[in-house]
Amino acid sequence: MKWLQNILDVWRHEFIRVLHDEGVLVFFLVVPLLYPLLYAYLYNNETVREVPTLVVDNCKSSMSRDFLRRVDATCDVKIIGHCADMQEAQELIRKHKAYCLIYVPSEFQKNILEGKQSVVELYSDMSGLLYYKAVLSSCTEVSLEMNQDIKMQRLVGATKEQAETFAYPIKYEFVPMFNTQSGFATFVIPAVLMLIIQQTLVLGVGMIMGDEHEKRRKGIVNLHVQGRKPLTILLGKAGVYLCFYAVIAAYFVCIPNMFSLIHIWQWKSMLAFMLPYILSCIFFSMIISVFARDRESFIVLFVFLSVPMMFISGISWPGASIPSVWKALSYIFPSTLGINGFVRITEMGALASDVRFEIVGLWIQAIVFFVIAWLLYRKNYLSKQDL
Amino acid sequence: MVLSVVKREIKRLLSRPLYLFSMILAPLFAYIFFPTLMMEGLPTDLPAGVVDLDNSSVTRQIIRNLDAFQQTKIVAQYNNFAEARTAMQRGEIYAVYYIPEGTTKEALASKQPTVSFYTSASYLIPASLVYRDMKMMSEYASGAITRSTLYAKGYTEDQAMAMLQPIKMEMHAVNNPLLNYSVYLSNSLLPAILMILIFQVTIYSIYSELKEETSKEWLAMTNNSIYKAVIGKLIPQFFVWMLMGVTCLVVLYGNCHFPLNSGLLPMVALMFVFVVVCQGFGVFLCGALPSMRWSLSIATLWGVLSIPISGFSFPQMAFPPALQALSYLFPMRYYFLIYVDQALNGWSFGYTWLFYVCLLAFLILPICVMGRLKKFLLEYHYQI
Repeated sequence: MKWLQNILDVWRHEFIRVLHDEGVLVFFLVVPLLYPLLYAYLYNNETVREVPTLVVDNCKSSMSRDFLRRVDATCDVKIIGHCADMQEAQELIRKHKAYCLIYVPSEFQKNILEGKQSVVELYSDMSGLLYYKAVLSSCTEVSLEMNQDIKMQRLVGATKEQAETFAYPIKYEFVPMFNTQSGFATFVIPAVLMLIIQQTLVLGVGMIMGDEHEKRRKGIVNLHVQGRKPLTILLGKAGVYLCFYAVIAAYFVCIPNMFSLIHIWQWKSMLAFMLPYILSCIFFSMIISVFARDRESFIVLFVFLSVPMMFISGISWPGASIPSVWKALSYIFPSTLGINGFVRITEMGALASDVRFEIVGLWIQAIVFFVIAWLLYRKNYLSKQDL
Repeated sequence: MVLSVVKREIKRLLSRPLYLFSMILAPLFAYIFFPTLMMEGLPTDLPAGVVDLDNSSVTRQIIRNLDAFQQTKIVAQYNNFAEARTAMQRGEIYAVYYIPEGTTKEALASKQPTVSFYTSASYLIPASLVYRDMKMMSEYASGAITRSTLYAKGYTEDQAMAMLQPIKMEMHAVNNPLLNYSVYLSNSLLPAILMILIFQVTIYSIYSELKEETSKEWLAMTNNSIYKAVIGKLIPQFFVWMLMGVTCLVVLYGNCHFPLNSGLLPMVALMFVFVVVCQGFGVFLCGALPSMRWSLSIATLWGVLSIPISGFSFPQMAFPPALQALSYLFPMRYYFLIYVDQALNGWSFGYTWLFYVCLLAFLILPICVMGRLKKFLLEYHYQI
């Protein structure tokens, strides 16, 4: 059992070392603790409500007023003012008072009464897609409602049901599943959580290794690793990171519960998925940490990559539309499989069998990364000893 | 004096591959990555499934038509809803169109059957795109039946449309009519990544003087004038950043042909101010924190947080009030606002000047900490 004793020795020293290093603790504790809270708070409203909207009502009839009143009553749009003409409305939009404009033409009511089609024009500032969505969906919803009434009047003598059957011989209903209110927090936060695990590990482990390299250049030798087998060092260190990230993962799976986001995961599947993900991230970070020259260089080199990694995972920009070169590249990082698996387990109630591709992929990654890390550790620790 | 610092800094930048990577290769990677990733502009052929329990010629036609829509591609048919749901949970499809048994028969008998569609809204963007197609398909399916009834009654096409849809919405997506997602995202993500890198390289390059214990030598070159020393150090970096900034604009407006209604010059001016402000912010973080060890970590926090908080994907007006206020402390927020007014909408400078004032106000920050920074550089001893 000497080997186990050795691993535990490395583990103990490494643990103490991490606890005494503020810089590493920022990545191992502070960021994982605070960042999710910040994100959850930021997206707390899930979607944009009451988008400030202007109206140019050239019809000024009872019908146009009815239409606008109903639009104003929806939760997504708020009519903040009526303008005399388009110029006035444009001026207000340029002054950032409103984002959308509803234009009701003068013949709006006349057309409806004459049995012609009436067109309402909507304009949206395209600085945000959610403004566009808000005004379009609210106005469409109201128009469908009013259309129903108008049709009933036109089909003289028809009951409401008959009119409806006439207009919609086949009815339809829409059910958004899993993320039932199409909310932003529910959509972004699980992905952010998984990315935080990978990125903080890379930065933290990179800092530890950079620190060792820096000290070694100044002739200070890390006594608790000196003379030990690379495998022992590797396992001892990985054990420390595993301890930290087991706690972080436990905290992360509770985040959706804490913020009342969708959480329908079941723990066996979560465990079966989380273990290979964390192992894969740990060995991944240990591989690249070998290339850290000093404490800080990884911050400069790796932080910006969080953004491409988020997008390459297929959670925001759909995976089906990612060019194959980037898609192939994305499987080098644990985060791609991690984000997809985690989203589907937490929000979509997927079982371990449904995310088998991800779980198997993560185990393969973990094993391959482990072997590469071991080889690099041999090079890193053995050659320096011989010097 | 400043010139000699400039020369020295050029040598320093060339001496480490880290600078080559973070100042040139990293931005170039981002400039290639995002535009090629979102090359389609609006995703097409998103995988969706069908459960067709009716299986009549009418429902088969509906499915064929749905498949012909641009955003949707029907990749599988399932025998029941449970199978389709599992396929969603496996991530194989983004949505399911469900047609119950007897739909055709009931429709012909005026019994008004109901079809349904389900989207996997955890994947927000593809779900909303497929939703749009499925909704439109459902409207068409009904409309086709009603229209043929109306034609039979002698209605003209216009009259039939007016009967089907008395009030119609016509949407104008001003300046981005095709709803190109890359216009939203790339226009802000590329400068944001440049900003993160500027923060970090600025701090790293000053901090490395402390670590290598060369800070006294550096300051001595300008007779201990901290302003001259810092400016001399930042000038060569500025030229590299400006080169990368203009490259960013060329990629966005030259290669990708994104809306540029202001002309290129105002955007170059914006990039100039943005680069200087980001460098200044980096200097500020060097001098403002209790130890320069913290500067890079805080710069990371500020930089990464800039992306959601500037409000280009989730609008700022939907943040909680405290975070709405906080967003004004991020240079990226102003870059985004000015970009929208200038490049996207092409409005005159009169509507935008206030954002410029706010952006330039960030330059006061480094000035406030110059004294402190000097003290750090002269007195601090790097502890390993």
